[in-house]
Order: sequence, then structure tokens, then C-alpha cells
Amino acid sequence: MSMMKREVAWRIFADELNNSTLETRGEDERAPTYIVSPLGAKVNRVYAVGVLTEVDNRGTPEEPLWQGRVSDPTGTFFISAGRYQPEAATSLSNIDPPKFVAVVGKTSTYRPDDETVLISIRAELVKEVNDEQRDLWILEAAKSLKTRLEAMAEASRMEDVSVQELIDLGYDPTLADGIKAASEHYQTYPLDRYWSIMKDALRYVLPEYEEPTVMDTADEGLDEELMERVLEVVQELEEETEEVGVSYEQVRDIVVEREDITMTEFEELVSKLRLHGKLMEPALGQIQSAY
Amino acid sequence: MNEKELAPHIEDINRALKEKVSSEQIEEELQKFRDEYRISLGDAKRAIVKKFGGDPQDLFLNPEKKINEIRGDERSLDIKARIIAIQDKEIELDGQPKTIFYGIFGDDTGTIPFTLWESKSVDIEKGDTVHVKNAYANTWNDQPQVNIGSMAGIGILDDDEVPPFERDPQVCDIKDIREGMRNLMVTGRILTMEKKVVQTDSGEKDLFSGVLADESGKIQFSAWHDFQLEPEQVIKLVGGYVRSWRGIPQLNFDENSEVEIIDDQELPSADTLQDSSTMTISHLARRGGAVDAIVDAVVIDIKTGSGLIFRCPECNRVVQKGACRIHGKVDGEADLRVKGILDDGTGALTMIMTRELTENILGYDLDKAKELARDRMDQDVIKDELEELLIAQPLRVRGNVTSDEYGLMLVASDVKFKKIDVEEEARKLLDEVSV
Ligand SMILES: [Zn+2]
Repeated sequence: MSMMKREVAWRIFADELNNSTLETRGEDERAPTYIVSPLGAKVNRVYAVGVLTEVDNRGTPEEPLWQGRVSDPTGTFFISAGRYQPEAATSLSNIDPPKFVAVVGKTSTYRPDDETVLISIRAELVKEVNDEQRDLWILEAAKSLKTRLEAMAEASRMEDVSVQELIDLGYDPTLADGIKAASEHYQTYPLDRYWSIMKDALRYVLPEYEEPTVMDTADEGLDEELMERVLEVVQELEEETEEVGVSYEQVRDIVVEREDITMTEFEELVSKLRLHGKLMEPALGQIQSAY
Repeated sequence: MNEKELAPHIEDINRALKEKVSSEQIEEELQKFRDEYRISLGDAKRAIVKKFGGDPQDLFLNPEKKINEIRGDERSLDIKARIIAIQDKEIELDGQPKTIFYGIFGDDTGTIPFTLWESKSVDIEKGDTVHVKNAYANTWNDQPQVNIGSMAGIGILDDDEVPPFERDPQVCDIKDIREGMRNLMVTGRILTMEKKVVQTDSGEKDLFSGVLADESGKIQFSAWHDFQLEPEQVIKLVGGYVRSWRGIPQLNFDENSEVEIIDDQELPSADTLQDSSTMTISHLARRGGAVDAIVDAVVIDIKTGSGLIFRCPECNRVVQKGACRIHGKVDGEADLRVKGILDDGTGALTMIMTRELTENILGYDLDKAKELARDRMDQDVIKDELEELLIAQPLRVRGNVTSDEYGLMLVASDVKFKKIDVEEEARKLLDEVSV
């Protein structure tokens, strides 16, 4: 009977969701699958509010498959809606970006190779909202993240992470379960990183917040250079494989390694290249140079 | 367990296997399962019968279990217990009215809810000590319970066959009270109370029922004895037991409990308690339900059957395409309601808003809604408008929360849009984590 229960919709920042590489499934064959985040969120359904920056129909006019990108202060959610999500598909097709949107949907994963997991949200609901609702969501997501960070900190102090001990400390049984699974799978406690992500996200809703200076000329110059490097890698790989469209992950790994930048920085570079029309994304997890 | 105690179980396995296997071999197997692998007697017997091609259903004699050993997946179960509470209930089964009994069993290790699905074959009542054979257990809201079906038997035992439950009362916040608990120590203020006269097996009885609250939550109570209780009083209860109706825990106490009316200035007034105590949906799910709960959450889906609907004048069911499921083509009566999913990030529940609340949200009444639908020739315009108004908005919703196999359901008595000062809360949170 427990499987009849509706799955909770997690408020989780894009960064934490996208960095998840663990999938679990209950013992029952009809049990849902979950993505377990590095901080132990056991996610089947997501509730996210952010800015819809792009919408494309990647299907056909007869059978559309709408894909979109929704940004939060930490990264990008990849969302999609096809014929099994007719209401969300209709909403997506009618929204003209950029707009604030609320998205509810189930997570789905795509594994281009053994090490890479790309996560997207199959939208059940997409609704245009306002900036107040977006700010409220950031607050909720930050609170939810804080609970996981505290639980994870407790777990990091345990010799053997014990679900029961976490429950006794007052944590939700589902979270306790996820924390144990995450600590076993990821083998690391990325606490500092997510504390700073949480604080940055909270500062984002304050009136004195200033956009990171992307328009700074020095930065822009540096970005220009890095954007060139990314394009070079894409073209190198395209020549090598004689195919149009190469693995996003592969490009990322090479660029991150060569240029010593973070994955988030890489993601930003790709966004800018897409914005400038120099890169395209023919399918989820693939990029191609725009010639 | 010694040889003498094991002998009837070996015989039981033998019978289930129709004597195909020698007693010596069974004994050897049983020893292996029990001593080497530390499998419980019941599971070992089942495994052995299966191993030799028999059907574990043919096993007749179950090892007795203490109440705190019951896991909720036992397909055959024998227990000796005292009846702490028992009550009848009318249900409808395949369209036929039927009386079932439900209550609480207790032994020296704990308590467990039970349901007796067949009419009482023996006359049992509260306080009796019974031997139940071949019952089965399942779980309800993650809590084990005993079911006594048509295959089961009940016998009455002498009172001293089950040792009394002796443990210090358990101090408990009201929000943590769960079905099956007993011997509690609870302090709370009476919010409301009324006196009823009810029929019981032993004749007419006065029942004093109402709602008790502390700062953590509220609970319905039933006092089966006149403790001279009145609203606003703060009481300290020692004793009592808890049973649930559709997931809502109810606190019961009688002349065997101690009730002290105390002068507690610290507990807020009834008015304040009435409006405090929000609960997370995850907490509600683990508890099974609550009376007059307050939930802060967001609507993330509005289900079909929301907005302008039509009900069968005979049975009140929602009419689809002009026809009632039972009464066929009828002239439906218009109504307004919301059936939505409320989610607070810890859990989800189905929320029902009846006509009056729906009218409040829409800002117009049923007649206007009918007019709008007629003008646009589309019944769904009202649902669309409700989606626009409700989805992704922070709400504070109040109402009774019940549970069944589909999860939790809240029937709203009040719905308010919640004003949240995001900036202030973000600053508070930043201060908190920046030390
Ligand atoms: Zn009808």
C-alpha cells in the first residue's frame, strides 16, 4: 500500500540535483526509482521555480517533444514534456522565454557512458509565476538544503552511518535512508561546497544583491578566450569521430582538465556559446558546433 | 526451546507434509534453521514445509508471539493478550452492511491494534484475556496490527495467563501520540468538550469527548468517566490508551486512569493553542492523521473533478457526462470544490476544499461560476482559474487529516494565502549559519 502514496516534490537546487550519480529502486518491482543526491536527497519528484531561458521543440510538429532550460541561482534544470505530459507540453509551448516558471516533474536519467549521469525533469506541470514566488522557492530550497547539510554533518561524525541514529536525532526516515546511501556511494562529504552554495542562494534574494560581474570587460575577455577553447575541443572531437554532435561530458572533462576551471564555469561557457549561436544541443547530453 | 516444546511443532510440520518426511529429518532441519541460522521458529517451519514441497498454509500450530515481536507480515499468528479496548463498527462490504469489531490488545510487552472481521463467535469484552489462533498481521501507517479473520479462533483464558503490563507511564508530547500507545503521561489544555450518551455492551454510558492541546499539537479525547472536566482546564493524565479512526489518533481514558486538574500558567490559552501547532506532512504521515491540523504548503496540482462539478441528487456522487455511476442519467446539482495536491517538501497529501472555501478563493459564488461556464460553454474554465489562483502559492491550510491506502487526505476547514517575508527570513537564516 505504501507504493500508492504520492512521492514528495523535493525543493532542491539544480547544482545538487545535477551532481547526483546514484540511482536506487525499492525492492518491489513497481517501486519507483530515486536519484540520491550527494547530500542524501532521495528524489523521485522535483518542485523547482526559476527562469525559463529556452524552449525548443525537439520532436516533430505532429509529435512534439518540448525541452526547456530553467535556471536557478546555482545552475540549470533540464526539463522536457512530450505526449505523455500533454498539459505541461501545452504550457511549455505557450511560454515565451525568459519567464519565471514553476515546474513539477519526475526525474529521469540518461547515461551516455559508464561514468556520466545526465538528469532531466519530465514535467507534469509548468506554470508561469512571478519573482516573489521564485524568491520564496529559493528560501524553501535553502531550508531544505540546510537540513540535509546538518544531517550529513552528523553522519560524517559517525563511524558507521546509522539510519536509526539519524532518526533518533530527529531526521526524517526517508532522509536518513538517503544520507546513508549517499555516504556509501559518494564516499565524501561535500559540506563546505554546499554551505557556500546555500549562502550564495540566500544572498540572491536580498535587495542589495548584485549580479556577479559578467559584464566586466576583463572577465569577458577571459571568457572569450575560454569560449574559443571550448569550441576548439568540440571541433577536435567532431573531426576525430567524424560525427556531428559530441558528448557534452567528454568535452566538459577535457576543458575542465586543460583550462583548470570548475564544472559550473564550464556550464556557463556553454550557455554563452549557445546564446551566441556558436553551439547547439541536438539532444540531451550532446553538443555540436554551429556550422 | 526444549525438545518437549518443539515436539508439537515437529508434528505440525509432519502433518503439513503429509508424513512424507521422517520426524528425525524434520528435527534435524529445524535444528539447522534455528541454531545455525537463527531463524525464528515460525519462519523455520514455513521454510521447511516449502523445502519439502508442502504448503505452509497447512501449518496449524504457530509459535506464540509476544506483542512487541509482531512485525506486521505474519501470515499466521497466535497470541495471548488482554483486551484493552473493543468497539463495534458498521461497514459496507460488497454492498452488504456488516458489523466488525476493533480495539487494542495488550500483553506484558506492549499493545497492538486489532480488527475482528467476523461477528464475535465468543462473547468477549474489554478486560478479557484471550488466546487468538491463526490470526494474521499487516501494517497500517507502518504500524503492525492483528487481523482476526474467518480462519482464526478465539478462546477465553484465565486472567493470570497474561502478565500485566508494568511500566512507568511514558511522558509524551501530543504531536507524538500514536495508535496503540498506552499508559501515557500527557499534559494539555482542554479546547472543547461535550457530553454524549452512548450505547455500549454494558448499557448506556456517559462519554465526555473533546479536543486536548499542548504547544506541539491537538488530539481528540474520550473520557469514559466523569472527571468534572471543562474547557480551558489544564489536565495531567496518567494512563489511558490510544486508538485511531482512519488514521486520526484518539486518546481514551477511564476510571483506571488518573486525571489531575492543574494550575498551569505557562501553557498558552485555548485560543492561542487552537491556532498554533503546524505540522509537517511527513509528520502527519507517520502519525497517520490528526484532528484540526495546520499545514503550511504549496498546491502543486489541481485534479480533475475540481472547479464546477455536478452531483447526483440521489447519492451526491459526482456526475460524469450527465450520468451517475449508480443512478444513470440524472439532472445533476451544481457544486464547487477543489481536489488538489498539497506538498510541503516533506510529503504530499490530497486536499479537499468544499464549496464555501472554493467560493472564497474564486471571489464569486456558485451562480456566477455557472454563468461563466455557460458564457464560455466550458465547464473547465473554473478549474483553470483555480489553477491560476492556487498553484505555486504558499498556503496555510487547516482541517482534519485522515489516511487510507491512497495516502493522506485533508478536508480543509480554512485556507489562507500565507504572507512570507522572504527577505527577512533569508537574513535570519544567513545570520544563523554565518557564525
Ligand atoms: Zn447517484
